[in-house]
Amino acid sequence: MTSAEALVSVRSASKRFGATDALSDVSVEFHAGLVHGLVGENGAGKSTLAGVVLGIHAPDSGEVCLDGSPLRLDSPADGAAHGLVGVAQELSLLPAMSVADNVVLGTEEHIGPFVKRRANRARVEALIAEHGLEVPIDARVGSLPVADQQKVEILRALGRRSRLMVLDEPTARLASHEALELRRTVRELAARGVAVVYVSHFLDEVLSVSDTVTVMRDGRVVRTGPASAETHESLVEGMTGRSIGDVFPAKPPAPAPDAPVVLRVDGLCSARVDARVIDFSDVSFSIRAGEIVGLVGLVGAGRSEVAHTVYGAARADAGSVHLHGDHLAGSITDALSAGVSLIPESRRQQGLIAQRSVRDNTTLPHLADFAGRLGIRTRPEDRAAAAACDRVGVRRPNLTAPVATLSGGNQQKVLFARAVMGQPRLLIADEPTRGVDVGSKRSIYETVNEMADTGCAVLMVSSELEEVIGTCHRVLVMRRGRIVAEFAGDEIVEADLLAAAFGKGARSTSEAGDQE
Amino acid sequence: MTSRALPAIRHYGIAAVTVALFVLLAATTDGFLSQANFRNILDQQSALLIAASFATITMIAGGFDISAASVFVVAPLFALQVENATGNAALAAVVGVVVGLVVGIANGLVVTALKVNSFIATLATSFMVFGIGFLVSDRSVLRAATDAYPAIARTRWLGITTGAWIAAGVVAAAWLLLSRTRFGRHVYASGGNAEAARLAGVPVARVKTICFALSGAAAGLAGVVSSSRSLSALPSDDFSFVFGVIAAVVVGGTSIAGGEGAVWRTIVGAFFIALMINGFNLHQVDPIWQRVIQGAVILGAVSIDAWTQRREH
Repeated sequence: MTSAEALVSVRSASKRFGATDALSDVSVEFHAGLVHGLVGENGAGKSTLAGVVLGIHAPDSGEVCLDGSPLRLDSPADGAAHGLVGVAQELSLLPAMSVADNVVLGTEEHIGPFVKRRANRARVEALIAEHGLEVPIDARVGSLPVADQQKVEILRALGRRSRLMVLDEPTARLASHEALELRRTVRELAARGVAVVYVSHFLDEVLSVSDTVTVMRDGRVVRTGPASAETHESLVEGMTGRSIGDVFPAKPPAPAPDAPVVLRVDGLCSARVDARVIDFSDVSFSIRAGEIVGLVGLVGAGRSEVAHTVYGAARADAGSVHLHGDHLAGSITDALSAGVSLIPESRRQQGLIAQRSVRDNTTLPHLADFAGRLGIRTRPEDRAAAAACDRVGVRRPNLTAPVATLSGGNQQKVLFARAVMGQPRLLIADEPTRGVDVGSKRSIYETVNEMADTGCAVLMVSSELEEVIGTCHRVLVMRRGRIVAEFAGDEIVEADLLAAAFGKGARSTSEAGDQE
Repeated sequence: MTSRALPAIRHYGIAAVTVALFVLLAATTDGFLSQANFRNILDQQSALLIAASFATITMIAGGFDISAASVFVVAPLFALQVENATGNAALAAVVGVVVGLVVGIANGLVVTALKVNSFIATLATSFMVFGIGFLVSDRSVLRAATDAYPAIARTRWLGITTGAWIAAGVVAAAWLLLSRTRFGRHVYASGGNAEAARLAGVPVARVKTICFALSGAAAGLAGVVSSSRSLSALPSDDFSFVFGVIAAVVVGGTSIAGGEGAVWRTIVGAFFIALMINGFNLHQVDPIWQRVIQGAVILGAVSIDAWTQRREH
């Protein structure tokens, strides 16, 4: 920590939303030139704290000081005017406009109604050069990878002479090598004197990028201290208030070598999107009853595409999928009736019907089970939905609450309740714990283990290597649409998985980035 | 703040406002609280209720069916041609419904297979159907040749016209279909999040096509009932019927964005508008001002919908 005066200090801030204390008596200092990590479970108050600093929320009591003098912020625009800027979880760029146009948006130099194109471009070029954030300046933002889009957001913030920048879950949607690159960018920002507030669920990432870490729980600051004094375990302990030695429950025993093969995939090739692009080709593997198999790789390696094709949600050009020896014809209805369940990658976009109730979301694929002469028999439906939700530990006000009102972790569990209800023989879980708090993670892993215990085969697609290592019996690594390596049991080690995912000898991220 | 009150207001607001309007009219307006007046309102609303109850389902599924007006105009022209030729009123009615069904299926296929935006697709088919209406009627008014055709909607049973009974039956069918059946759940899922619905095994394209088919058939039936009430049908390219339908759906609180809404809402919305107009007429408000006020009320309803949605997220 530096002894210099804090750029922004929050003093005894409290904020209530309805009946919940989102923040109680929180004091934190953010210093120029330092990266300040902010960790806590969902609902711990991280976003509210960030909101108070950015002018999104006005604190009920307490104050925010800039350079030592109290500041009253009525809106995010107020905050931005003082150089306090947030880079949101959901990007707020215009995909159809160029990088340059996005960066200067709202602050274009102009003569009367006419935009000075060249002057604006020069400004963006200068920004890029100054901060070393390489982005193709004329590219349409929508055509760029997410990591580059994030850079555009950051450039935009820098173009407004930001002094403090809040990054909320900046790597949630990035592949591992992109995340590494972003961390470098963040360090550079700090080196140039920006105070960076780094909010993330990925604890190792927070530890590696931050100078200072604040741990929050239930709207309070548990502690603030140098990142070097913290470990993964100490952060988890601080966030949850209990010492869970491990997020991962013990793996169920690996299936016997003669356990029946549940899923067999032979030479599967994706349908061509256009002449050049093939998502994946010649993918073959099998999963036995009770076995949990991980599928890892960089974003774009074809993992989710394989999962979707096995499930019948995407077409294959060649190859076959067999479940217990029966050929799957390649439609979702076939897969469902054969006993395949999919937990899709994005629960908001692909998983849940946000406005509908917990019950409706749970039973959606299983409504035929409750068909009566006068429509759906709701009493057995309610009972079955409640049983499934209880089994996976969905905490809910009641079954009729819209699923959108649940926390992220509980929403994810609703998807598991839906899967459990079908008593699947194969569960395909794509990023099963994305954006989920530590407590819910463990309970999700327990659900997966329980299902494996009862003979269900599990295919787990994941970007979190830690998760794969902690839960899988066997791991398949994909690179550029092919399975390039397979590890089982004790061979599942992070370094080897990374090496396989990036390609031989290309462990350093920049090289891998170039290859992509 | 009022995070708890908002869903409740949103949920039953339109019903409360309609009841309040009813009480207000009952207290202030002579001639409002009479059986004749209510019977009249019910009878006048029958065609709109028939079309609007299924239009609600289409809108919840994420579709927007503007073609109801053209079907409403043209289906009775087919029906009356059949009636004039054969003298068979029942056959005529069936033909009217089938015309709507065919247009609806075509709409559904264009929207789901060709992936054309449903507003544009049904606008385009509307023009085609209006044109066919002029062809089939030879640009002239068609009149019922038998007494059986007018009897479809004008017969009184327990004091209420058969037109109103038909509307009640259609409304009940739509209500049950949406709230009680698997198909209804699939409608909400398809409109709420089509990709999530597809991955959960919902045949989204089939669900939407069926919605368009049913709303087309309902519009055809509405046209038959309406022409039976008026004893005739006239070719035109008048879109006003569908705007009344959409107004009822939206004022009731069904979301234009899809995924949310209910048949009961549309019934309440329809009666809210009908009571308002009835009140205006009984108070002899200038019809020109009636339109202005009616428009403002619809705008208000949609604004409240947009506002509460913004608050929820």
